[in-house]
Amino acid sequence: MNVKEFYAAIDGDYEGTLSRFLSEERVKRFALKFEQDPSFSQLCEALKNGDVGEAFRAAHTLKGVCQNLGFDSLYRISSEITEILRGGSLNVDQKMPALKTCYGTVMTALRALKED
Amino acid sequence: MNKPTEKKKILIADDSQMNREILKDILQDNFAIAEACDGDEAISALASDKSISLVLLDINMPKVNGFEVLEEMNRTKLIEETPVIIISAENAPSFAERAFNLGVTDYISRPFDAHIVVRRVVNTLVLYGKQKRLMEAVQEQIFERQKNNSMMISILSHIVEFRNEESGPHIQHIRIITEFFLRALGALHPEYALSEEEITLIGTASSLHDIGKVSIPTEVLNKPGRLTPEEFAIMKTHSAIGASMLEKLPLYTDEPLVKTAYQICRWHHERYDGRGYPDGLKGDEIPMSAQVVALADVYDALTSERVYKAAYSHEKAVEMIKNGECGTFNPLLMEVLDKCADGLYEALHSTPDVESDLRKVAAEVLKRVLTDE
Repeated sequence: MNVKEFYAAIDGDYEGTLSRFLSEERVKRFALKFEQDPSFSQLCEALKNGDVGEAFRAAHTLKGVCQNLGFDSLYRISSEITEILRGGSLNVDQKMPALKTCYGTVMTALRALKED
Repeated sequence: MNKPTEKKKILIADDSQMNREILKDILQDNFAIAEACDGDEAISALASDKSISLVLLDINMPKVNGFEVLEEMNRTKLIEETPVIIISAENAPSFAERAFNLGVTDYISRPFDAHIVVRRVVNTLVLYGKQKRLMEAVQEQIFERQKNNSMMISILSHIVEFRNEESGPHIQHIRIITEFFLRALGALHPEYALSEEEITLIGTASSLHDIGKVSIPTEVLNKPGRLTPEEFAIMKTHSAIGASMLEKLPLYTDEPLVKTAYQICRWHHERYDGRGYPDGLKGDEIPMSAQVVALADVYDALTSERVYKAAYSHEKAVEMIKNGECGTFNPLLMEVLDKCADGLYEALHSTPDVESDLRKVAAEVLKRVLTDE
């Protein structure tokens, strides 16, 4: 899977990201780094512990990283969760399955991208 | 100063490693990079590494957030010399507003464009560099002007004193003692606190306190024994004569320096109890500048050798003044003398660093000009 195909697979913004990052090589390098980004697991951990402050921070970081990388659909869902958590509510159960599915799609696509 | 070839250093403060690496990747060709992964680290990096030229700051960070970093930079005044650009996913105008109120130079929203980040960083550094060089140049000009003023006045007062065989370093002493008393008074009683600029002005004007002596005949001026009442009457005219010389200047009579020098010339032999000359002013009718110079004059006369007396020690002189053996002074100045006598001795016996004092004044003038805008 090449970079363009990867962005298509995850419903991301290939053109926009390329124009901001200036080279496809850089886009790919940073997209691959997303595998090591801890904010998703930090979010899950914080929700399990009922720590709304930490959950907000993790969701916010996830949102920011996705926005930078042009991972649009993951960005949208993490934004929605960020806004719920910002208000101090832990009531994100309805949104979390979608986030997990979307995150899974991105991780699968990343593995395919890496093999390219 | 940075060598032109040396890369300027940018601190990237962001809790996401990914975000830091993207920024680093964009910037590292042109800049040296330091990283902080929370607000705490950013604050300590800024405190320990003075080579940081610009900060890219995230708002939402664990422990200490970006706003708190900015508040700390305001406390330490670092914000005045180190530009900060916020890069945040927070797009609410209230966030940007608050950041600008805390002194940030620019606010970049995520997702950012690599070109734009580099451009804004470069622009900000160029502007700050220009401003810094301009400020240094202006400050240098102010310093040179102050230095020329101070040089002309010391030449002039030296000429006046040259006729007066007993003077020695009198003028310089008066200036040091005067400035010392004004600073110490302001420290003890903040309602009397003056700016460095005002203190230097009075110190400079104090050099002119005896200019009226040019019209006193040498036989009287340098008479080795006690003066007769007639001679003393002649001697006493020097304060009014000095003041009238200044008053009749063809130019500059409205200048603060000339006005202050006038007060000092005319009234540095007045006494707090009203028994001085030429006008018999009493208490607060005597301007503080003249009161301080009067005290400085007495102290310096006591601690200097004269044809008719040996020099008293610092301790003895302080004691005599406190006992009222040499006139009556403002109780506030007696309090300063009482509490700060050691400091006075030290001020007189350390090498005066006139240049550094003048630089302080130049910095103060510049700051005032900039905040008046």
